Amino acid sequence: MNLAIFIEQILNGLITGSMYALIGSGIALVYGTMKVLNLAHGEFYMLGGYFTWYLAVSLGINPAIAIPAAVAIAFCLGMLIQKLTVEYLILRDNWAFTTIAATMGLSIILQNAALLVFGANFNTVPSYVSGVMVLGDIRISWQRVLIFVVALATIGFMTWLLKYTRLGWSIRATSQDRDAAQVVGIPVKRVYMICFGLAAALGALAAAMLAPINAINPWSGMPVLLKGFVVVVLGGLGSFPGAIIGGLLLGVVEAVGVQLTSSEWRDVISFTLMIAVIWWRPWGLFGKK
Amino acid sequence: MATEPTPKLMLDVQNVNVIYGNYQVLWDVSMQANAGQVMAVLGPNGSGKSTILKAIMGLTPVRSGKVIFEGEDITNRPAHEMIERGISMVLERRRLFTGMTVYENVMLGAYHKSVQKYAKERLEWVESLFPILKERRDQVAGKMSGGEQQMVAIARALMSKPKMLLMDEPYLGLTPRIVGQIAEIIHKVNAEGIAVIFNEQNVKLSFGISNYGYLLESGRVMLNGTGEEMMNSDVIRRVYLGE
Repeated sequence: MNLAIFIEQILNGLITGSMYALIGSGIALVYGTMKVLNLAHGEFYMLGGYFTWYLAVSLGINPAIAIPAAVAIAFCLGMLIQKLTVEYLILRDNWAFTTIAATMGLSIILQNAALLVFGANFNTVPSYVSGVMVLGDIRISWQRVLIFVVALATIGFMTWLLKYTRLGWSIRATSQDRDAAQVVGIPVKRVYMICFGLAAALGALAAAMLAPINAINPWSGMPVLLKGFVVVVLGGLGSFPGAIIGGLLLGVVEAVGVQLTSSEWRDVISFTLMIAVIWWRPWGLFGKK
Repeated sequence: MATEPTPKLMLDVQNVNVIYGNYQVLWDVSMQANAGQVMAVLGPNGSGKSTILKAIMGLTPVRSGKVIFEGEDITNRPAHEMIERGISMVLERRRLFTGMTVYENVMLGAYHKSVQKYAKERLEWVESLFPILKERRDQVAGKMSGGEQQMVAIARALMSKPKMLLMDEPYLGLTPRIVGQIAEIIHKVNAEGIAVIFNEQNVKLSFGISNYGYLLESGRVMLNGTGEEMMNSDVIRRVYLGE
Protein backbone atom coordinates (compact mmCIF):
# COMPACT_ATOMS: atom_id res chain seq x y z
CA MET A 1 0.00 0.00 0.00
CA ASN A 2 1.10 3.51 -0.82
CA LEU A 3 2.40 5.30 2.28
CA ALA A 4 0.66 8.58 1.44
CA ILE A 5 -2.71 6.82 1.16
CA PHE A 6 -2.05 5.07 4.43
CA ILE A 7 -1.28 8.34 6.22
CA GLU A 8 -4.30 9.94 4.59
CA GLN A 9 -6.48 7.13 5.92
CA ILE A 10 -5.10 7.55 9.43
CA LEU A 11 -5.82 11.28 9.27
CA ASN A 12 -9.31 10.60 7.97
CA GLY A 13 -9.71 8.10 10.80
CA LEU A 14 -8.71 10.73 13.34
CA ILE A 15 -11.22 13.15 11.82
CA THR A 16 -14.07 10.64 11.95
CA GLY A 17 -12.84 9.62 15.38
CA SER A 18 -13.04 13.20 16.62
CA MET A 19 -16.77 13.10 15.81
CA TYR A 20 -17.14 9.74 17.56
CA ALA A 21 -15.42 11.42 20.51
CA LEU A 22 -18.00 14.23 20.63
CA ILE A 23 -20.86 11.74 20.45
CA GLY A 24 -19.33 9.36 22.99
CA SER A 25 -18.40 12.12 25.42
CA GLY A 26 -22.08 13.12 25.64
CA ILE A 27 -23.06 9.57 26.55
CA ALA A 28 -20.17 9.45 29.03
CA LEU A 29 -21.17 12.75 30.64
CA VAL A 30 -24.73 11.59 31.25
CA TYR A 31 -23.71 8.13 32.42
CA GLY A 32 -20.91 9.52 34.58
CA THR A 33 -23.12 11.92 36.50
CA MET A 34 -26.55 10.26 36.52
CA LYS A 35 -25.69 6.62 35.84
CA VAL A 36 -28.30 6.76 33.09
CA LEU A 37 -27.62 5.05 29.78
CA ASN A 38 -29.35 7.47 27.45
CA LEU A 39 -30.78 5.47 24.55
CA ALA A 40 -32.17 8.67 23.05
CA HIS A 41 -28.72 10.19 22.62
CA GLY A 42 -28.68 9.38 18.89
CA GLU A 43 -31.88 11.40 18.48
CA PHE A 44 -30.16 14.50 19.83
CA TYR A 45 -27.65 13.99 17.04
CA MET A 46 -30.46 13.53 14.52
CA LEU A 47 -32.34 16.61 15.74
CA GLY A 48 -29.12 18.65 15.75
CA GLY A 49 -28.72 17.73 12.09
CA TYR A 50 -32.28 18.80 11.33
CA PHE A 51 -31.95 22.07 13.25
CA THR A 52 -28.79 22.86 11.28
CA TRP A 53 -30.43 21.92 8.00
CA TYR A 54 -33.54 23.95 8.79
CA LEU A 55 -31.63 27.07 9.84
CA ALA A 56 -28.85 26.91 7.24
CA VAL A 57 -30.73 25.56 4.23
CA SER A 58 -34.45 26.27 4.64
CA LEU A 59 -33.98 29.69 6.24
CA GLY A 60 -30.65 30.34 4.50
CA ILE A 61 -28.90 31.58 7.63
CA ASN A 62 -25.09 31.72 7.52
CA PRO A 63 -23.74 28.43 8.96
CA ALA A 64 -21.48 30.37 11.34
CA ILE A 65 -24.69 31.50 13.07
CA ALA A 66 -26.94 28.56 12.21
CA ILE A 67 -24.66 25.94 13.81
CA PRO A 68 -24.26 27.65 17.20
CA ALA A 69 -28.01 28.32 17.17
CA ALA A 70 -28.78 24.65 16.44
CA VAL A 71 -26.44 23.60 19.24
CA ALA A 72 -28.07 26.07 21.64
CA ILE A 73 -31.55 24.79 20.76
CA ALA A 74 -30.38 21.22 21.35
CA PHE A 75 -28.92 22.25 24.72
CA CYS A 76 -32.25 23.73 25.84
CA LEU A 77 -34.21 20.79 24.45
CA GLY A 78 -31.91 18.35 26.28
CA MET A 79 -32.46 20.16 29.57
CA LEU A 80 -36.21 20.28 29.04
CA ILE A 81 -36.43 16.58 28.20
CA GLN A 82 -34.32 15.66 31.22
CA LYS A 83 -36.55 17.77 33.45
CA LEU A 84 -39.73 16.18 32.07
CA THR A 85 -38.64 12.54 31.96
CA VAL A 86 -35.41 11.36 33.52
CA GLU A 87 -35.51 13.56 36.60
CA TYR A 88 -38.62 11.82 37.93
CA LEU A 89 -37.04 8.41 37.57
CA ILE A 90 -33.48 8.73 38.82
CA LEU A 91 -34.32 9.67 42.38
CA ARG A 92 -36.34 6.49 42.90
CA ASP A 93 -35.15 3.10 44.01
CA ASN A 94 -34.61 0.51 41.27
CA TRP A 95 -34.65 3.17 38.61
CA ALA A 96 -31.90 1.65 36.47
CA PHE A 97 -34.30 -0.18 34.19
CA THR A 98 -36.96 2.51 34.17
CA THR A 99 -34.55 5.04 32.66
CA ILE A 100 -33.54 2.55 29.96
CA ALA A 101 -37.19 2.00 29.09
CA ALA A 102 -37.98 5.70 29.28
CA THR A 103 -35.08 6.82 27.09
CA MET A 104 -35.86 4.08 24.59
CA GLY A 105 -39.43 5.33 24.39
CA LEU A 106 -38.14 8.86 24.08
CA SER A 107 -35.96 7.78 21.18
CA ILE A 108 -38.98 6.39 19.31
CA ILE A 109 -41.08 9.47 20.07
CA LEU A 110 -38.36 11.83 18.82
CA GLN A 111 -37.85 9.78 15.64
CA ASN A 112 -41.54 9.93 14.85
CA ALA A 113 -41.75 13.59 15.74
CA ALA A 114 -38.93 14.26 13.25
CA LEU A 115 -40.72 12.15 10.64
CA LEU A 116 -43.91 14.15 11.16
CA VAL A 117 -42.22 17.53 11.04
CA PHE A 118 -39.44 17.02 8.50
CA GLY A 119 -40.61 14.00 6.48
CA ALA A 120 -38.69 10.86 5.54
CA ASN A 121 -36.37 12.42 2.97
CA PHE A 122 -32.62 12.54 3.29
CA ASN A 123 -31.55 16.14 3.79
CA THR A 124 -28.07 17.45 3.11
CA VAL A 125 -26.36 20.70 3.85
CA PRO A 126 -23.82 22.18 1.40
CA SER A 127 -20.19 22.09 2.52
CA TYR A 128 -19.27 24.93 4.85
CA VAL A 129 -15.91 25.32 3.15
CA SER A 130 -14.89 24.10 -0.29
CA GLY A 131 -11.64 22.87 -1.73
CA VAL A 132 -9.03 20.35 -0.75
CA MET A 133 -6.00 20.73 1.45
CA VAL A 134 -2.92 19.34 -0.30
CA LEU A 135 0.15 18.38 1.70
CA GLY A 136 2.56 16.63 -0.64
CA ASP A 137 0.73 13.49 -1.73
CA ILE A 138 -1.86 13.79 1.02
CA ARG A 139 -5.21 15.31 0.09
CA ILE A 140 -7.95 16.07 2.62
CA SER A 141 -11.00 18.23 1.98
CA TRP A 142 -11.13 21.48 3.94
CA GLN A 143 -14.57 20.43 5.18
CA ARG A 144 -12.93 17.51 7.00
CA VAL A 145 -10.16 19.74 8.32
CA LEU A 146 -12.83 22.09 9.66
CA ILE A 147 -14.58 19.17 11.36
CA PHE A 148 -11.36 18.24 13.11
CA VAL A 149 -10.58 21.79 14.20
CA VAL A 150 -14.09 22.27 15.62
CA ALA A 151 -13.89 18.93 17.42
CA LEU A 152 -10.52 19.78 18.98
CA ALA A 153 -11.75 23.21 20.04
CA THR A 154 -14.85 21.64 21.60
CA ILE A 155 -12.84 19.01 23.44
CA GLY A 156 -10.50 21.75 24.68
CA PHE A 157 -13.45 23.83 25.82
CA MET A 158 -15.10 20.91 27.64
CA THR A 159 -11.83 19.96 29.34
CA TRP A 160 -11.38 23.55 30.52
CA LEU A 161 -14.99 23.66 31.68
CA LEU A 162 -14.70 20.46 33.69
CA LYS A 163 -11.32 21.29 35.18
CA TYR A 164 -11.49 24.98 36.00
CA THR A 165 -15.04 26.29 36.24
CA ARG A 166 -17.52 26.15 39.12
CA LEU A 167 -19.91 24.24 36.90
CA GLY A 168 -17.18 21.77 35.99
CA TRP A 169 -16.25 21.18 39.61
CA SER A 170 -19.88 20.59 40.50
CA ILE A 171 -20.25 18.11 37.60
CA ARG A 172 -17.15 16.16 38.63
CA ALA A 173 -18.13 16.21 42.30
CA THR A 174 -21.68 15.03 41.53
CA SER A 175 -20.42 12.23 39.32
CA GLN A 176 -18.05 11.02 42.03
CA ASP A 177 -20.46 11.15 44.98
CA ARG A 178 -23.99 12.44 44.77
CA ASP A 179 -24.65 12.62 48.52
CA ALA A 180 -21.35 14.33 49.27
CA ALA A 181 -22.06 16.83 46.49
CA GLN A 182 -25.44 17.68 48.01
CA VAL A 183 -23.90 18.05 51.42
CA VAL A 184 -21.43 20.69 50.20
CA GLY A 185 -24.33 22.61 48.71
CA ILE A 186 -24.32 21.49 45.07
CA PRO A 187 -27.85 21.38 43.61
CA VAL A 188 -27.42 17.97 41.99
CA LYS A 189 -30.76 18.05 40.18
CA ARG A 190 -29.65 21.16 38.36
CA VAL A 191 -26.27 19.59 37.58
CA TYR A 192 -28.08 16.59 36.07
CA MET A 193 -30.19 18.84 33.92
CA ILE A 194 -27.20 20.82 32.65
CA CYS A 195 -25.25 17.63 31.89
CA PHE A 196 -28.12 16.31 29.81
CA GLY A 197 -28.23 19.60 27.94
CA LEU A 198 -24.47 19.55 27.37
CA ALA A 199 -24.67 15.97 26.06
CA ALA A 200 -27.45 16.94 23.65
CA ALA A 201 -25.40 19.95 22.52
CA LEU A 202 -22.32 17.80 21.87
CA GLY A 203 -24.39 15.36 19.80
CA ALA A 204 -26.00 18.21 17.88
CA LEU A 205 -22.64 19.80 17.15
CA ALA A 206 -21.34 16.51 15.73
CA ALA A 207 -24.39 16.28 13.50
CA ALA A 208 -24.03 19.89 12.38
CA MET A 209 -20.41 19.35 11.39
CA LEU A 210 -21.16 16.04 9.63
CA ALA A 211 -24.31 17.29 7.89
CA PRO A 212 -22.49 18.10 4.60
CA ILE A 213 -21.06 14.55 4.52
CA ASN A 214 -23.79 12.42 6.12
CA ALA A 215 -27.35 13.18 5.05
CA ILE A 216 -29.87 13.49 7.87
CA ASN A 217 -33.12 11.55 8.11
CA PRO A 218 -35.32 10.60 11.08
CA TRP A 219 -33.39 7.35 11.63
CA SER A 220 -29.88 8.82 11.51
CA GLY A 221 -29.57 8.59 15.29
CA MET A 222 -29.52 4.84 15.76
CA PRO A 223 -26.19 3.95 14.07
CA VAL A 224 -24.65 6.96 15.83
CA LEU A 225 -25.88 5.69 19.20
CA LEU A 226 -24.31 2.29 18.54
CA LYS A 227 -20.98 3.91 17.66
CA GLY A 228 -21.27 6.04 20.77
CA PHE A 229 -21.69 2.89 22.88
CA VAL A 230 -18.57 1.36 21.37
CA VAL A 231 -16.70 4.57 22.22
CA VAL A 232 -17.78 4.67 25.87
CA VAL A 233 -17.13 0.97 26.36
CA LEU A 234 -13.63 1.43 24.92
CA GLY A 235 -12.92 4.45 27.09
CA GLY A 236 -14.63 3.22 30.24
CA LEU A 237 -18.29 4.05 30.89
CA GLY A 238 -18.68 7.51 32.31
CA SER A 239 -15.10 8.67 31.71
CA PHE A 240 -14.90 11.91 29.71
CA PRO A 241 -11.21 11.64 28.71
CA GLY A 242 -11.85 7.95 28.04
CA ALA A 243 -14.58 8.83 25.55
CA ILE A 244 -12.25 11.24 23.74
CA ILE A 245 -9.42 8.71 23.42
CA GLY A 246 -11.91 5.92 22.70
CA GLY A 247 -13.46 7.94 19.88
CA LEU A 248 -10.15 8.80 18.22
CA LEU A 249 -8.93 5.21 18.60
CA LEU A 250 -12.11 3.82 17.08
CA GLY A 251 -11.86 6.21 14.13
CA VAL A 252 -8.28 5.21 13.37
CA VAL A 253 -8.83 1.48 13.80
CA GLU A 254 -11.88 1.63 11.53
CA ALA A 255 -10.03 3.61 8.86
CA VAL A 256 -7.05 1.27 8.82
CA GLY A 257 -9.28 -1.79 9.03
CA VAL A 258 -11.42 -0.64 6.13
CA GLN A 259 -8.27 0.04 4.13
CA LEU A 260 -7.13 -3.54 4.72
CA THR A 261 -10.54 -5.13 4.07
CA SER A 262 -13.48 -3.25 2.62
CA SER A 263 -15.95 -0.66 3.82
CA GLU A 264 -18.67 -3.25 4.51
CA TRP A 265 -16.48 -4.46 7.34
CA ARG A 266 -16.51 -1.11 9.17
CA ASP A 267 -19.03 -2.10 11.88
CA VAL A 268 -17.56 -5.57 12.24
CA ILE A 269 -14.19 -3.97 12.92
CA SER A 270 -15.54 -1.54 15.50
CA PHE A 271 -17.51 -4.15 17.44
CA THR A 272 -14.59 -6.61 17.28
CA LEU A 273 -12.38 -3.91 18.78
CA MET A 274 -14.97 -3.32 21.49
CA ILE A 275 -15.25 -7.01 22.36
CA ALA A 276 -11.46 -7.38 22.40
CA VAL A 277 -11.17 -4.50 24.83
CA ILE A 278 -13.91 -5.99 27.01
CA TRP A 279 -11.94 -9.24 27.23
CA TRP A 280 -8.75 -7.50 28.07
CA ARG A 281 -10.05 -4.66 30.30
CA PRO A 282 -13.77 -5.03 31.07
CA TRP A 283 -13.73 -1.60 32.73
CA GLY A 284 -12.43 0.07 29.55
CA LEU A 285 -9.19 1.84 28.84
CA PHE A 286 -9.77 4.66 31.34
CA GLY A 287 -12.59 3.41 33.55
CA LYS A 288 -12.20 2.25 37.11
CA LYS A 289 -12.30 -1.43 38.00
CA MET B 1 -18.64 24.50 79.68
CA ALA B 2 -21.00 21.83 80.89
CA THR B 3 -23.77 24.26 81.81
CA GLU B 4 -23.96 27.65 80.16
CA PRO B 5 -26.02 30.20 82.09
CA THR B 6 -28.78 30.40 79.46
CA PRO B 7 -28.20 27.81 76.75
CA LYS B 8 -29.61 28.84 73.38
CA LEU B 9 -31.67 26.18 71.65
CA MET B 10 -30.31 25.64 68.16
CA LEU B 11 -31.72 22.39 66.86
CA ASP B 12 -35.11 21.04 67.84
CA VAL B 13 -36.06 17.63 66.47
CA GLN B 14 -39.71 16.88 67.22
CA ASN B 15 -41.23 13.38 67.02
CA VAL B 16 -39.45 12.40 63.83
CA ASN B 17 -40.44 9.18 62.09
CA VAL B 18 -38.44 7.76 59.19
CA ILE B 19 -39.56 4.74 57.19
CA TYR B 20 -37.53 2.90 54.53
CA GLY B 21 -39.94 0.84 52.45
CA ASN B 22 -41.84 -1.23 55.01
CA TYR B 23 -39.27 -0.80 57.71
CA GLN B 24 -39.54 1.96 60.25
CA VAL B 25 -36.07 3.17 61.22
CA LEU B 26 -36.93 6.03 63.58
CA TRP B 27 -39.89 6.12 65.98
CA ASP B 28 -40.95 9.49 67.37
CA VAL B 29 -37.40 10.66 67.90
CA SER B 30 -37.08 14.02 69.65
CA MET B 31 -33.82 15.68 70.54
CA GLN B 32 -32.53 19.15 71.28
CA ALA B 33 -29.10 20.64 70.81
CA ASN B 34 -27.88 24.00 72.05
CA ALA B 35 -25.58 26.42 70.30
CA GLY B 36 -21.93 25.74 71.03
CA GLN B 37 -22.54 22.27 72.42
CA VAL B 38 -20.85 18.98 71.56
CA MET B 39 -23.49 16.31 71.52
CA ALA B 40 -23.16 12.58 71.05
CA VAL B 41 -25.79 10.27 69.59
CA LEU B 42 -25.06 6.80 70.88
CA GLY B 43 -26.38 3.44 69.93
CA PRO B 44 -25.53 0.06 68.47
CA ASN B 45 -25.56 -0.77 64.76
CA GLY B 46 -29.01 -0.33 63.26
CA SER B 47 -30.24 1.87 66.09
CA GLY B 48 -30.95 4.73 63.69
CA LYS B 49 -28.14 6.98 64.88
CA SER B 50 -26.95 7.60 61.32
CA THR B 51 -30.47 8.04 60.00
CA ILE B 52 -31.28 10.84 62.43
CA LEU B 53 -28.28 12.84 61.22
CA LYS B 54 -29.25 12.24 57.59
CA ALA B 55 -32.83 13.24 58.34
CA ILE B 56 -31.66 16.51 59.89
CA MET B 57 -29.47 17.17 56.85
CA GLY B 58 -32.26 16.41 54.38
CA LEU B 59 -30.58 13.32 52.93
CA THR B 60 -33.35 11.03 54.13
CA PRO B 61 -37.05 11.89 53.88
CA VAL B 62 -38.86 12.46 57.17
CA ARG B 63 -42.29 10.79 57.13
CA SER B 64 -43.73 12.78 60.03
CA GLY B 65 -42.42 15.10 62.69
CA LYS B 66 -40.40 18.27 62.44
CA VAL B 67 -36.81 19.44 62.32
CA ILE B 68 -36.45 23.04 63.52
CA PHE B 69 -33.13 24.84 63.18
CA GLU B 70 -32.80 28.29 64.76
CA GLY B 71 -36.57 28.63 64.82
CA GLU B 72 -37.06 27.71 61.17
CA ASP B 73 -38.73 24.56 59.94
CA ILE B 74 -36.16 22.74 57.79
CA THR B 75 -37.98 19.39 57.61
CA ASN B 76 -37.39 17.71 54.25
CA ARG B 77 -35.60 20.70 52.77
CA PRO B 78 -33.00 19.54 50.22
CA ALA B 79 -29.50 18.94 51.56
CA HIS B 80 -27.88 21.54 49.34
CA GLU B 81 -29.81 24.29 51.16
CA MET B 82 -28.41 23.40 54.56
CA ILE B 83 -25.06 25.05 53.88
CA GLU B 84 -26.81 28.39 53.57
CA ARG B 85 -28.49 27.90 56.94
CA GLY B 86 -25.21 27.07 58.63
CA ILE B 87 -25.39 23.28 58.85
CA SER B 88 -22.55 21.18 57.48
CA MET B 89 -21.97 17.45 57.54
CA VAL B 90 -19.13 14.94 57.48
CA LEU B 91 -20.59 11.81 55.92
CA GLU B 92 -19.92 8.28 57.12
CA ARG B 93 -16.70 6.85 55.67
CA ARG B 94 -15.52 10.31 54.58
CA ARG B 95 -17.11 10.21 51.13
CA LEU B 96 -14.50 12.40 49.51
CA PHE B 97 -14.46 13.16 45.81
CA THR B 98 -11.77 10.54 45.45
CA GLY B 99 -10.71 11.42 41.91
CA MET B 100 -10.18 15.08 42.75
CA THR B 101 -7.24 16.70 44.50
CA VAL B 102 -7.11 17.59 48.19
CA TYR B 103 -7.35 21.26 47.28
CA GLU B 104 -10.37 20.72 45.03
CA ASN B 105 -12.09 18.68 47.73
CA VAL B 106 -11.54 21.31 50.39
CA MET B 107 -12.54 24.20 48.13
CA LEU B 108 -15.75 22.41 47.15
CA GLY B 109 -16.73 22.85 50.80
CA ALA B 110 -17.10 26.55 50.00
CA TYR B 111 -18.89 25.88 46.72
CA HIS B 112 -22.24 27.34 47.71
CA LYS B 113 -22.78 30.95 46.63
CA SER B 114 -23.72 32.06 50.14
CA VAL B 115 -20.36 30.96 51.56
CA GLN B 116 -17.97 31.63 48.67
CA LYS B 117 -16.87 34.87 50.25
CA TYR B 118 -15.40 33.00 53.22
CA ALA B 119 -13.34 30.64 51.07
CA LYS B 120 -9.96 32.32 51.43
CA GLU B 121 -10.17 33.04 55.13
CA ARG B 122 -11.55 29.57 55.88
CA LEU B 123 -8.89 27.85 53.78
CA GLU B 124 -6.21 29.47 55.91
CA TRP B 125 -7.97 28.36 59.06
CA VAL B 126 -8.50 24.73 58.03
CA GLU B 127 -4.94 24.54 56.74
CA SER B 128 -3.77 25.69 60.15
CA LEU B 129 -5.91 23.01 61.79
CA PHE B 130 -4.62 20.36 59.39
CA PRO B 131 -1.16 21.31 58.08
CA ILE B 132 -1.24 18.16 55.95
CA LEU B 133 -3.78 19.83 53.65
CA LYS B 134 -1.22 22.38 52.59
CA GLU B 135 1.57 19.82 52.15
CA ARG B 136 -0.62 17.57 50.02
CA ARG B 137 -2.68 20.15 48.12
CA ASP B 138 -2.26 18.52 44.72
CA GLN B 139 -2.53 14.90 45.82
CA VAL B 140 -5.53 12.91 44.60
CA ALA B 141 -7.71 12.46 47.69
CA GLY B 142 -8.46 8.78 47.05
CA LYS B 143 -4.77 7.91 47.45
CA MET B 144 -4.59 9.11 51.08
CA SER B 145 -4.86 6.99 54.22
CA GLY B 146 -8.16 6.74 56.08
CA GLY B 147 -7.11 9.19 58.79
CA GLU B 148 -5.84 11.73 56.29
CA GLN B 149 -9.05 11.40 54.31
CA GLN B 150 -11.08 12.04 57.46
CA MET B 151 -9.13 15.26 57.98
CA VAL B 152 -9.89 16.36 54.41
CA ALA B 153 -13.56 15.51 54.96
CA ILE B 154 -13.72 17.57 58.17
CA ALA B 155 -11.85 20.45 56.52
CA ARG B 156 -14.28 20.36 53.62
CA ALA B 157 -17.23 20.55 56.00
CA LEU B 158 -15.70 23.49 57.88
CA MET B 159 -15.14 25.59 54.75
CA SER B 160 -18.72 26.86 54.73
CA LYS B 161 -18.37 28.49 58.17
CA PRO B 162 -21.08 26.33 59.73
CA LYS B 163 -22.86 27.01 63.01
CA MET B 164 -23.46 23.31 63.45
CA LEU B 165 -21.36 20.38 62.23
CA LEU B 166 -22.92 16.93 61.91
CA MET B 167 -20.43 14.04 61.92
CA ASP B 168 -21.58 10.58 60.94
CA GLU B 169 -19.32 8.02 62.66
CA PRO B 170 -16.18 10.15 62.56
CA TYR B 171 -14.06 7.44 64.20
CA LEU B 172 -15.12 4.53 62.03
CA GLY B 173 -12.18 2.48 60.81
CA LEU B 174 -9.49 4.75 62.24
CA THR B 175 -6.52 3.79 64.40
CA PRO B 176 -6.52 4.91 68.06
CA ARG B 177 -3.82 7.50 67.37
CA ILE B 178 -5.92 9.10 64.64
CA VAL B 179 -9.03 8.89 66.83
CA GLY B 180 -7.15 10.99 69.39
CA GLN B 181 -6.27 13.55 66.74
CA ILE B 182 -9.85 13.76 65.49
CA ALA B 183 -11.11 14.22 69.07
CA GLU B 184 -8.66 17.08 69.49
CA ILE B 185 -9.95 18.63 66.27
CA ILE B 186 -13.54 18.38 67.52
CA HIS B 187 -12.44 20.34 70.61
CA LYS B 188 -10.80 23.00 68.46
CA VAL B 189 -13.83 23.25 66.20
CA ASN B 190 -16.10 23.61 69.21
CA ALA B 191 -13.81 26.25 70.70
CA GLU B 192 -14.64 28.34 67.61
CA GLY B 193 -18.26 28.31 68.75
CA ILE B 194 -19.41 25.62 66.32
CA ALA B 195 -21.90 23.12 67.72
CA VAL B 196 -20.96 19.52 66.94
CA ILE B 197 -23.28 16.53 66.81
CA PHE B 198 -21.62 13.19 66.17
CA ASN B 199 -22.66 9.59 66.50
CA GLU B 200 -20.61 6.73 67.80
CA GLN B 201 -20.99 3.26 69.21
CA ASN B 202 -18.31 3.51 71.85
CA VAL B 203 -19.80 5.17 74.93
CA LYS B 204 -16.54 5.84 76.76
CA LEU B 205 -14.96 7.40 73.70
CA SER B 206 -17.99 9.61 73.16
CA PHE B 207 -18.10 11.16 76.58
CA GLY B 208 -14.46 12.00 76.46
CA ILE B 209 -15.44 14.90 74.21
CA SER B 210 -19.17 15.53 74.42
CA ASN B 211 -21.14 17.31 77.09
CA TYR B 212 -24.55 15.89 76.27
CA GLY B 213 -25.81 12.69 74.77
CA TYR B 214 -28.75 10.70 73.48
CA LEU B 215 -28.95 6.94 73.44
CA LEU B 216 -30.91 5.35 70.61
CA GLU B 217 -32.05 1.76 70.47
CA SER B 218 -34.08 0.24 67.63
CA GLY B 219 -34.94 3.72 66.43
CA ARG B 220 -36.21 5.06 69.76
CA VAL B 221 -34.63 7.45 72.23
CA MET B 222 -33.92 5.37 75.35
CA LEU B 223 -32.06 7.91 77.41
CA ASN B 224 -30.61 11.37 77.32
CA GLY B 225 -28.57 13.53 79.64
CA THR B 226 -25.21 15.06 80.36
CA GLY B 227 -22.12 12.93 79.99
CA GLU B 228 -21.98 12.36 83.71
CA GLU B 229 -25.64 11.39 83.98
CA MET B 230 -25.29 9.01 81.06
CA MET B 231 -22.17 7.33 82.42
CA ASN B 232 -23.89 6.79 85.76
CA SER B 233 -27.15 5.46 84.35
CA ASP B 234 -27.96 1.84 85.03
CA VAL B 235 -28.71 1.01 81.41
CA ILE B 236 -25.41 2.35 80.17
CA ARG B 237 -23.41 0.74 82.95
CA ARG B 238 -25.03 -2.64 82.50
CA VAL B 239 -25.30 -2.88 78.73
CA TYR B 240 -22.53 -0.72 77.36
CA LEU B 241 -19.86 -0.65 80.01
CA GLY B 242 -20.40 -4.23 81.15
CA GLU B 243 -20.31 -3.38 84.84
